[in-house]
Amino acid sequence: MMEMFNNYEVVKHFPVIAVMGLFLFAFLIEIFGAKCKIIRNTLTLIATGGAFALILGLIPMVFGEGNVISYWMGDWKPVAGYAIGIGYEVDALSLFFGLLVSGTFFLSSIYSIKYMSRDHHLGHYYTLFLMLSGSVLGLVLTGDIFNMFVMIEIMTFASVALTAFRNKKGIALEAGFKYLILGSIGSSLVLAGIAVLYMQCHTLNMAQISSIIGGAGLNPSLVFAFALMFAGFGVKSYIVPFHTPAADAYMAAPSSISMVFSGMVNKAGVYALIRLTYTIFNAMDIPAVNILLVTLGAITMFIGVTMALAQHDFKRLLAFHSISQIGYVITAIGLGTALGLSSGLFHAMNHTMFKGLLFLCAGAVFYATGTTDLDKLGGLSKRMPKTTICFLIGAFSISGLPPFNGFASKWMIYQSVYAKGVESGNFAYIFATIVALVVSVMTLASFIKVTQAVFFGQLPDKLKDTKEVPFAMRLPMWIMSGLCILSGVFYRFVDVNVLYPVRNAAFGVKNYISSMLGGEAAAAASNVSSEEFFTLWDPKLWLILFAIVLLAVCIVVLLGDKTLGAVRKNKASEESDGKYATFFGGEKSTHSHVAGSDLFWGFKKDFKGYFKFMQGMHSGSVNDYALYVVVGTALIVATMFIFVL
Amino acid sequence: MSETVVTMLTNAFSVLVFPGLLFVMIVGLLLAGIDRKVLARMQKRKGPPVLQPFYDFFKLMGKETIIPDAANRRVFLAAPIIGFVSLVVMVVLIPIGGYTPFGITFNADLIVMLYLLTIPAVALIIGGSSSGSPYAGIGISREMVTMMAYELPLVIVLLTVALKVGGGSFCFSLGEISAWQETNGALITHWELIPAAIAFLFVIPAEVGTQPFDVAEAETEICEGPLVEYTGAPLAMFKLNTAIKMFVMTALFTVLFFGNAVATEYLALNALIVVAISAGITVLSMTLAHAVCARLKIEHLFKFYWTVVTALAAISLVLVWCL
Amino acid sequence: MIIVNYIVSVALIALGLFAVCTKKNLIKIVLGLGIIDYGINLMIVSIGYVPGGTAPVYTLSDFANFVSVSFVDPVPQALTLTSIVIGACVDALALSLVIMIYRKYKTVNADEVRRIRG
Repeated sequence: MMEMFNNYEVVKHFPVIAVMGLFLFAFLIEIFGAKCKIIRNTLTLIATGGAFALILGLIPMVFGEGNVISYWMGDWKPVAGYAIGIGYEVDALSLFFGLLVSGTFFLSSIYSIKYMSRDHHLGHYYTLFLMLSGSVLGLVLTGDIFNMFVMIEIMTFASVALTAFRNKKGIALEAGFKYLILGSIGSSLVLAGIAVLYMQCHTLNMAQISSIIGGAGLNPSLVFAFALMFAGFGVKSYIVPFHTPAADAYMAAPSSISMVFSGMVNKAGVYALIRLTYTIFNAMDIPAVNILLVTLGAITMFIGVTMALAQHDFKRLLAFHSISQIGYVITAIGLGTALGLSSGLFHAMNHTMFKGLLFLCAGAVFYATGTTDLDKLGGLSKRMPKTTICFLIGAFSISGLPPFNGFASKWMIYQSVYAKGVESGNFAYIFATIVALVVSVMTLASFIKVTQAVFFGQLPDKLKDTKEVPFAMRLPMWIMSGLCILSGVFYRFVDVNVLYPVRNAAFGVKNYISSMLGGEAAAAASNVSSEEFFTLWDPKLWLILFAIVLLAVCIVVLLGDKTLGAVRKNKASEESDGKYATFFGGEKSTHSHVAGSDLFWGFKKDFKGYFKFMQGMHSGSVNDYALYVVVGTALIVATMFIFVL
Repeated sequence: MSETVVTMLTNAFSVLVFPGLLFVMIVGLLLAGIDRKVLARMQKRKGPPVLQPFYDFFKLMGKETIIPDAANRRVFLAAPIIGFVSLVVMVVLIPIGGYTPFGITFNADLIVMLYLLTIPAVALIIGGSSSGSPYAGIGISREMVTMMAYELPLVIVLLTVALKVGGGSFCFSLGEISAWQETNGALITHWELIPAAIAFLFVIPAEVGTQPFDVAEAETEICEGPLVEYTGAPLAMFKLNTAIKMFVMTALFTVLFFGNAVATEYLALNALIVVAISAGITVLSMTLAHAVCARLKIEHLFKFYWTVVTALAAISLVLVWCL
Repeated sequence: MIIVNYIVSVALIALGLFAVCTKKNLIKIVLGLGIIDYGINLMIVSIGYVPGGTAPVYTLSDFANFVSVSFVDPVPQALTLTSIVIGACVDALALSLVIMIYRKYKTVNADEVRRIRG
């Protein structure tokens, strides 16, 4: 049985079966699953679980031996070195994202079983869910650029329908509409870029385009195509100024879908950007492209986190943090070095894990209490202790505290950015490092605020009866928390086994081309070797040190006086003794709720002008948001033309 | 076999006695005592004895611990211990006179220090947050804003020192920074780093939480903020954390700006020199400001750090980068 | 290379973007979206034009005579068909959302349908 996984002829069918299986099961659920809950849940779990298992089965071939699996649909093999069919090409980069995609969808489907049980028309929900998962998986596994566009469109479609799923609420419809308009503009930009690219290269296969561009060099049409596709994929990955639909959509969608959105759908945009810059155009040694990506990433980081500090809604705050973390990924990827790419991808992986965990906790809070307004929540840690622990793990991971995974990936990003800054002598990179560090502290601040406002603090009377969420919802949260801790402590293992093959794949364009098309076309492209990755932090050593000191402290404490360990619980003194009423002036003490928006008022007051400006820019009107997309595209096209040509 | 036993014993000694647990507790509380005594003398009072913090610590350890009903018990009790442990780990890493225990030299321990410095503040915040009191809620939000305020100049100062020592690139290793100063003279004598030193002196009282930057723990306003519900042994640990943080910050200043230039051959003498310089820095940065200034409001604090102190640090960075 | 086609397609895209950015009525915004799609479709089809070419269909007489016939490029035609279908689906979804918004908010003015902001 195990030799099956090393047999190329068997394994090469896995990607197609995974993607097509998901679409097939989507249609099956539409036919059979409208009435019966058991059939729906079973079909969904089989579909997502099966896809995950098939993608796992690709690991030995691709990560282990560094092969690239190429599969031509309908067996239309290339003729005379010229690609005529649609090809699925799975190299280590695609497989990395494929693992993340299928894993996230699998966990989300487990979570949805209980979470969505109170909604209606669930047959449509699971159909759309499986179509979304099939399209994102197809996006990352395909080797044909128009196929990628079609998958992007299916993804946009299913996302919009899922955002507007709870259509009794006005905000869901509004968010869905804005997402549709802005997402369609983005897809249209991608299509325009593909059209111009086709005009130059007369082929739609990514490997072939790469070899043609590698041989011919850049002319103005190609730069224009690059800029259009860059802007289009930027809309999909929610870089500033294209980030506006993300905030609304994550807030309005059901939490199991928000987790998938923030976990994978914007990673699909990031994957498309990497394919565009690293593989197709091989443009990462042009300094203008590097500076553009790093600048956009830095701006995204900063605006994301500052907007998050001013929010009143739990999920909208998490959405802005998502945007900010994607800024980190874009900055790291934009450096163009091996260390930069691997730190960016590591952070993308960690972001999927901890942001998914945070959205699942938000969904648990919504399921238990019925509200996500920070001003109305409070003190939930006594009623929902397990959710609190998972949320704390997620919050510490995103803030970058050791020993969680956010710390490891953020430190790698800082390292790579200042290494590039030193190597190129450009002050912009040092500035980006400082921005990254400040944003990290502000992220911590924002999550302290959320923790205080939702889980600690005082419990309002209305929420006295909230119960802990059911086990099917807690299981994905535990799994993701465990992964957060494991990939933080054993990050060396992740780097050697997962990131190193991915790095080689992204820089080894020659390998990519030659496995799709045969040897001759590959001669025109260039190949970059990956550097030695040096590490400066050994979590195991730190944990040992920590443990020794902790042991010492406990020994000292326990050896002391018996009264050291004694604790006495204190009941609230308000309902006791009348003789103390004189101290309160006779009136009953009132419950003054320190709400979420009361925290950080000093900080908000200092930056009143900035917050007023930014909140005014996010006006909620679809016209304004479309204007930002147009202006952003124009700036990117102008930058590309001025600095590359 | 006996070598491993010897190394284990040496490591245990460095963690538990010097420069670990015992040494840092004694010196930290001593510095706190010196601070109070000098402050009193500046205000023409007699002041408490220099060993007063020791008496306070042992007194508090003996009192009973009361946990309010609204508090989350585990987090409430664990918070001071986490802060304490991370502070002790930090002290083990500071090379006192070039002596690094464990024989390890990290390449980037300056950044690790930066991260570890946030953990005690976060422990205070989480501890206050879990006590379920509205005073604590306000206190932790102020503490967080203070942290945001001083992180920016602190990062810029550390980058400046790393850039100066590294020549063209960055050198983030504390051991190398110390050693560089042995050959090239103490960094405090290089004139372009003096604004950075002044900025660091401003950051120290905000980190430690003494007046005039202690708006997070304002006794007169919010009943000591995050610590309002703490009694007994956890309160003793938090007070101890403050004292140890005094030593850690001043020792960090000593290593960064004086380094091995003031080191001698003997470890004990080096330790004494570091303690003496730390005491001097404490008086200069913390006691002086405490005696002279009133407490700053949170928005003034934030503005102060992000304009004046950041400007000082940035001047140094630009000077070092261009020269 | 038909220049008029390209100019018209760019004009359509610009008009569509203008409609999306300035019009307040939600239905006009959806119409603008559609116009952007048609502009791009026109551009794609025009790319495949080969001067003097016929429709890309093989007839039996071509096989019989082994004449090499010049075709226009069939790939952009396939791309355009796909794009038209996608555009139709997007317009349908957008209009159904507009209908639901009208039922909920009783207005289709974009300035009043903005409860989420900030």
